[in-house]
Amino acid sequence: MRFLAYILRQTGKNLRQTWGTQIMTLLTVTLSVLIFAFFFLIYTNMLRASERLGNDVRLIVYLDQEVAEQARPELEKKIRSFAPVEKIVFVSRSEAFARLGAQLGKEKDVLNDLGPDFLPPSIEVYPLKTLNDLTKISQFSDFLLTLPHAAKVQTGSDWLRRFGYFTNLLRIVVLLSAGLLIISMTFIISYTLRLTVLSRQGELEVLRLLGATSAYIRLPLLLEGMLQGLLGSSLGIAALYSLYQWVANGFSGPGFLKLFNITFFPPEITASILLASVVLCTGGSLFSIRRFIRI
Amino acid sequence: MPRDASTEKPLVELVNVTKIYPPDVVAAEDVSLRIYKGEILFLTGMSGAGKTTLIKLICCLETPTRGLIEVAGRDLSRISSAGVQRMRQKIGVAYQDFRLLDKQTVLQNIAMAMEVTYASPKLIRMRVDELLDLLNLSDKRDKLAGELSRGEQQRVALARAAANGPSLLLADEPTGNLDPVATELVINLFNYLNERNGTTIVVATHDESIYADTEHRVMSLSKGQLSPHPTRAPQQIELFEA
Repeated sequence: MRFLAYILRQTGKNLRQTWGTQIMTLLTVTLSVLIFAFFFLIYTNMLRASERLGNDVRLIVYLDQEVAEQARPELEKKIRSFAPVEKIVFVSRSEAFARLGAQLGKEKDVLNDLGPDFLPPSIEVYPLKTLNDLTKISQFSDFLLTLPHAAKVQTGSDWLRRFGYFTNLLRIVVLLSAGLLIISMTFIISYTLRLTVLSRQGELEVLRLLGATSAYIRLPLLLEGMLQGLLGSSLGIAALYSLYQWVANGFSGPGFLKLFNITFFPPEITASILLASVVLCTGGSLFSIRRFIRI
Repeated sequence: MPRDASTEKPLVELVNVTKIYPPDVVAAEDVSLRIYKGEILFLTGMSGAGKTTLIKLICCLETPTRGLIEVAGRDLSRISSAGVQRMRQKIGVAYQDFRLLDKQTVLQNIAMAMEVTYASPKLIRMRVDELLDLLNLSDKRDKLAGELSRGEQQRVALARAAANGPSLLLADEPTGNLDPVATELVINLFNYLNERNGTTIVVATHDESIYADTEHRVMSLSKGQLSPHPTRAPQQIELFEA
């Protein structure tokens, strides 16, 4: 108990003696965590949105002519033989016309001069959620194009593909910011501790002469790094949470952001970020202690 | 008090110890010495005679070029760094250059020696007050060490060395900056520690006034070689026979 009290007191002493540097370090750690967590939050939300969009995938096969009622089971069997499908809907010209009219609502008068046959018949194929790979969807699309009377297949995969590219790009940004986080944390903590050690060189020398153990000298410095990691990452996460609340409250309602339905990190991810920061900062401390303190 | 050197185990034992600083400065040459528990030993000699080197060798601040040093039966060449630190907690050293922290108070400087042993704050306060009282420094308790005179700093360094109630106290020129009154206080402190705690004390000094009338052993160092002090009877000297 007394040992712990001494270690804590020494840590407090270290922090007081180099408070200016400590604040700069704290800000650097906070900013690093904020940058990383910001991109990571966007990335996780993009992944979730991508998953949601993937769930809504539907392939529409536009046909040259209507499929006769008796030919539909055979066609359905052929489609299901290629890929697992949740449901297949045959849409006739008149049904397509009725749908469009319903979508236009009060404006449906514009269709009056066109006649009920101007839209092509189609087959709407809803694949199972397991078909979430863009390549597989593309292959499925190519297959559907070989069906009798198929004129065009619309998958919406181009949009999904672009979305996928953006998510991949974001993944790289997340990895880069994670690298930045690692480098900045370990270096800045190691540098701060070096300053602490240099500013207390005389005292550490006397402590050694008086028989201070390795734990007595090193543990407070290690604790200093841990505290910087914990406090800095907590501040960074808190800042991100404030930003998230501001975005969530300020941009709620229908629109693009509603599509993404942004959510904050679950507690376990938050805890992991805090833990990783503590581990990184402790690592930085350890590096400095091993390098600059000889007992 | 006469000792039976053949049976009594010494607290400190140096066997044919030689210390050569590069390139070829011989600070100690073939020194053999036994220091017994509860003894007060004066190591005398001119500046550069090797007194400080002997003190540093005993407290592991230097390693001998040749020879064996044992403290409390432990060979210092085989002791681990953690062992050295533990040993230093039991050896009080008052350095010639004091090694005080100028920006810390007298109290903090002395307390530091006890803090490394995780002594209770209450015990530290009591002990510091007692030592400051013995050395007539009570009014300097909360002053910064850097604001004290050389003589006062020297006494603070002694108080720090004595703070842990060490079994061995090494004092290097402890009266170099002191007037006769302060010197008397230091001598009294040595006697007090020796009589009350049985502390073994080694005093390296060239100040003849502090050992002139002593009953304790006095040895002389010259050019790194230990010899009987000219004014002392040879039988007072315990030289180790290899």
